[in-house]
Amino acid sequence: MILPLLLVFLGLTIYPFVYMIYMSFHRYNLASWEKPEFIGFGNYREIWRDRTARSSVDFTVLLLVTAVPLEIILGIGIAFLLRDFFGERVFRSLLLTPMMVPAVVAGIAWKMLYNFEFGPVNYFFSLLGIAKVSWLGTQLFSRLGVVLIDVWQWTPFVFLILYAGLQSIPRDVVEAALVDGASGFSALRYIELPLLRPLVWVVLIIRLIDVLKIFDIVYMVTFGGPGSATHSYSFYIYKVGVSFGWDVGYASALSMLLLVAVTVLTNILIRTVRLKETLEL
Amino acid sequence: MRKIMLPIVFLSILVFAVQVGYAAQLTVWSSPDNADAIYELAQNFMQKYPEVTIEVTPLSWEVLYPRILQDLTSGVGSFDVTTWDLMTAGAIAPGMLDLEVFASEHPDLVDPSFDDQDFIPTARYVYGYWKDKRIGYPFYGAAMFFFYRKDLFGDQGLKEKFKAKYGRDLTLPQNWQEAKEVAEFFTRKLNPDSPTEYGMALMFPRTHTLFYMFLNFFGPYRRSKEGVSKFGPVDLDWGDYFTAEGKPAFNSEEGVKALQDMMDLMKYAPDPLGSDYGETLEAFSKGMVAMIPQWTACLASWKESPDLQPFEEKVGVAVMPGGAPVSGGWGVGINAASQHKEWAFRFIQYATSKEGDKIQWLKYRIGPTRQSVIEDAEVQSDSPWLAEVYLQSLQGASHRPRIPEEPKLEDVLVGTLSEVLLGQRPNSIETLNEVAQEWEKALRK
Amino acid sequence: MRGIGVIKGIIVGIVLFFFLFPVYWLVTTAFKRSEDWFSWPPSFLFSPTLGNFLGLEGGFFGSTTTAIATITPYLRNSVVVALLVACLSTVIAALSSYAISRFKIGGMGFVSWIISIRMLPPIASALPLYIIFSRLHLINTWWALILSHLVFTTPFSTWILLTFFNEVPRELDEASFVDGANTWQTFLWVVLPLSAPGLAAVATLAFIQSWGEFLMALVLTTGKEAQTLPIYLGRFITGWRIAWGPLAAAGIVTMLPVILFSLLMQRYLIRGLTFGAVKG
Repeated sequence: MILPLLLVFLGLTIYPFVYMIYMSFHRYNLASWEKPEFIGFGNYREIWRDRTARSSVDFTVLLLVTAVPLEIILGIGIAFLLRDFFGERVFRSLLLTPMMVPAVVAGIAWKMLYNFEFGPVNYFFSLLGIAKVSWLGTQLFSRLGVVLIDVWQWTPFVFLILYAGLQSIPRDVVEAALVDGASGFSALRYIELPLLRPLVWVVLIIRLIDVLKIFDIVYMVTFGGPGSATHSYSFYIYKVGVSFGWDVGYASALSMLLLVAVTVLTNILIRTVRLKETLEL
Repeated sequence: MRKIMLPIVFLSILVFAVQVGYAAQLTVWSSPDNADAIYELAQNFMQKYPEVTIEVTPLSWEVLYPRILQDLTSGVGSFDVTTWDLMTAGAIAPGMLDLEVFASEHPDLVDPSFDDQDFIPTARYVYGYWKDKRIGYPFYGAAMFFFYRKDLFGDQGLKEKFKAKYGRDLTLPQNWQEAKEVAEFFTRKLNPDSPTEYGMALMFPRTHTLFYMFLNFFGPYRRSKEGVSKFGPVDLDWGDYFTAEGKPAFNSEEGVKALQDMMDLMKYAPDPLGSDYGETLEAFSKGMVAMIPQWTACLASWKESPDLQPFEEKVGVAVMPGGAPVSGGWGVGINAASQHKEWAFRFIQYATSKEGDKIQWLKYRIGPTRQSVIEDAEVQSDSPWLAEVYLQSLQGASHRPRIPEEPKLEDVLVGTLSEVLLGQRPNSIETLNEVAQEWEKALRK
Repeated sequence: MRGIGVIKGIIVGIVLFFFLFPVYWLVTTAFKRSEDWFSWPPSFLFSPTLGNFLGLEGGFFGSTTTAIATITPYLRNSVVVALLVACLSTVIAALSSYAISRFKIGGMGFVSWIISIRMLPPIASALPLYIIFSRLHLINTWWALILSHLVFTTPFSTWILLTFFNEVPRELDEASFVDGANTWQTFLWVVLPLSAPGLAAVATLAFIQSWGEFLMALVLTTGKEAQTLPIYLGRFITGWRIAWGPLAAAGIVTMLPVILFSLLMQRYLIRGLTFGAVKG
């Protein structure tokens, strides 16, 4: 029964994976038209000296610590907000739209919104008396801009899961607490939030992994600029691996580091949520 | 669920099965810049030769070069014909068909009226050759132009105000120092009388755009008498970024000055670091700026802009201040792994013929590469400035490297330039030296 | 209490505005003439046009980068690829997670491996996959895309379905065995129907993922025979203008099917995701 899965994965993952490890120890660049040349850890040493690589790590970490918590806080907030609100079904459906918009299309929309001279975002700011903001030309705002897009696109996903989790909390528990004299806030604080915690962990894992892979939005909206302010790590791998004439060796080394980082991160998280028990393995 | 899925699966297999290929189908890859023109030329060609089908696939600029390279190095032959950006010449050359060898092997396919000597010599080389190998025919000839608002530069009231303020006549800037004054004059923030919001639209984003924009400023220094005696004559393959010995030339006093010129001008431009083609073209087309360095094809879209009418009276074209605009442009060549080389060869001859070159310019504003088209009566009456401004721009043009390492060099430099413009790093020889070291390392590989 | 309701209403309004405005702006831009794409103040009222879709305007340039009249083959490719990926990855994931759930094949190590495949940076596998597919002569076919997308969609589907199958009581399996059914029959007629929301949810997510995928589509396809919509969009960003109108129009075409599909499946999606996630 498991055979189809194994067949597909063996062919399509093991080979690229081995290829990646092999290439990460070689100098191999399609633009030079030369055969791969073994250079040991040369590519890995190179990474430590690479300014852009370092700033792309900075920005990716920044995304992890800003966008993901924001999404979770907003997701919880909106879930509580919409609960028992009239027309919640319609609002829920509407709210899910951003996560279904393909990233490239979302990029197009936001690039228009962020336009300096004519963009609606700066227009709304001007209505509030705020001067035009260079969303794509300053370090602070271009970074903020990418965070905002990620929050826009993925809060709905967080909301969706937490909202349904909230629905599945038995009402009588909360009501019993309220009857016993607990305030609405402490019922929320001590009963509902703890019950949501496992869900929050799961969402956190999924989001962390996906943020580490963020690429399309940067590609469409900022192209990593200005300076190296919005180079995400995956975007940088793309540039090295594809745009600069397929520097396959160096891109493989960069990818290996990413893979190690993600694996370590998720293993810690999986252990924390005791995935093994919940999967009954 | 299964009930819905099953028919869908069958249906899609059916659609897959009835896809039929054509006997002689040419796949043409093109950058979006050239796509419309090459599409029309393909239609014309198919009318002459109904037995061929030509499929034009536009691929955006960022992905076209890596896609070409990937296909050529693997020898798959996914495309027959492609347009290639001049600075990718060195990298793609080994996988492209040598047109001279092919022509001598197939004399019957050579169009007797092709007239190879008619191409402008520089164009013939930079859009056609890598070393001795003929990897393409010139398709899109370009050096950046300096567009300006003719009506404003001719306005009597403005002329007087300018003279009162700067003690000289309001003329088109001949160098970047003059350009700074004129740009200041046309920036409303600094001069409340300015008819435009900004003096000059500049695009300094963190893309390849910055790599060539820098040359518009570095070129004049590199090409000056002092520059040439210091760095030696310019090599067409290594370009103005390098000395005659193939060493980086930008990590010098001249490079710092060029960068300073860019920084000085930034205050007269709308959001220069956040702007690329789209934004600057838009700003000029809305009548917000007085001057803009740009390529040729934007003429076609500006002509439709309601804010720039009557077009002939409002928009003028001149040579870039400093006289060394960066060159750009495209060649069109054939994949050595193509299965349809004969048809491909016929097609690119047609696409770059006198007829094709003229259609490109008149309709799509894709710069001509043939002397006869520039001298053509219809072209001269359509764009009387072309012969003078265009040829002068091409002759003085500064060039990007065309060596295989170009993309790598480009990104290293652009990263640093962008950080300097952003104010994150000092504009100094030391900063540029760091880049030069990276370049030498990339070149040693 | 009424005051709280009003405040709540205002906050809900702001939230909806934030999440829907970008989509609204994209949709309206698709119906604007070129002079309205950008203006100050931004044009909220304008006379709509279908030119960006049909190419009725701007006669001076050709049709390739001025309207989305040429989009049909790309739409077809996207639909076929995403549907097949959704079906296949659901089938494969269902089979394998059932095996893991009931027979403990592979155990935790296997599950972690599956999850880590999801983390494999797509960039890293682009070139090796290109080599494999060019040997198999699959470049520029739907199958190249389908197979490469499966690599990314199946692990997540497997993970979610695993929690579903674990939820189905073993007693049901055993009862079915007692009635004389074999493993396959039990799987098909007992376990699968009970997990229908989960199947629908993973199919929808796989559809969304495959539909928006950019890198593999770029590397593994070369023309309209197999290229998908995300690649098609690039042509409107030219050296002489960014054609925002057609770009937005193509954006609508790229967005609409996936939104419709997801809305159709929404009921299952929500039940499926939370059911899986609550336990997962």
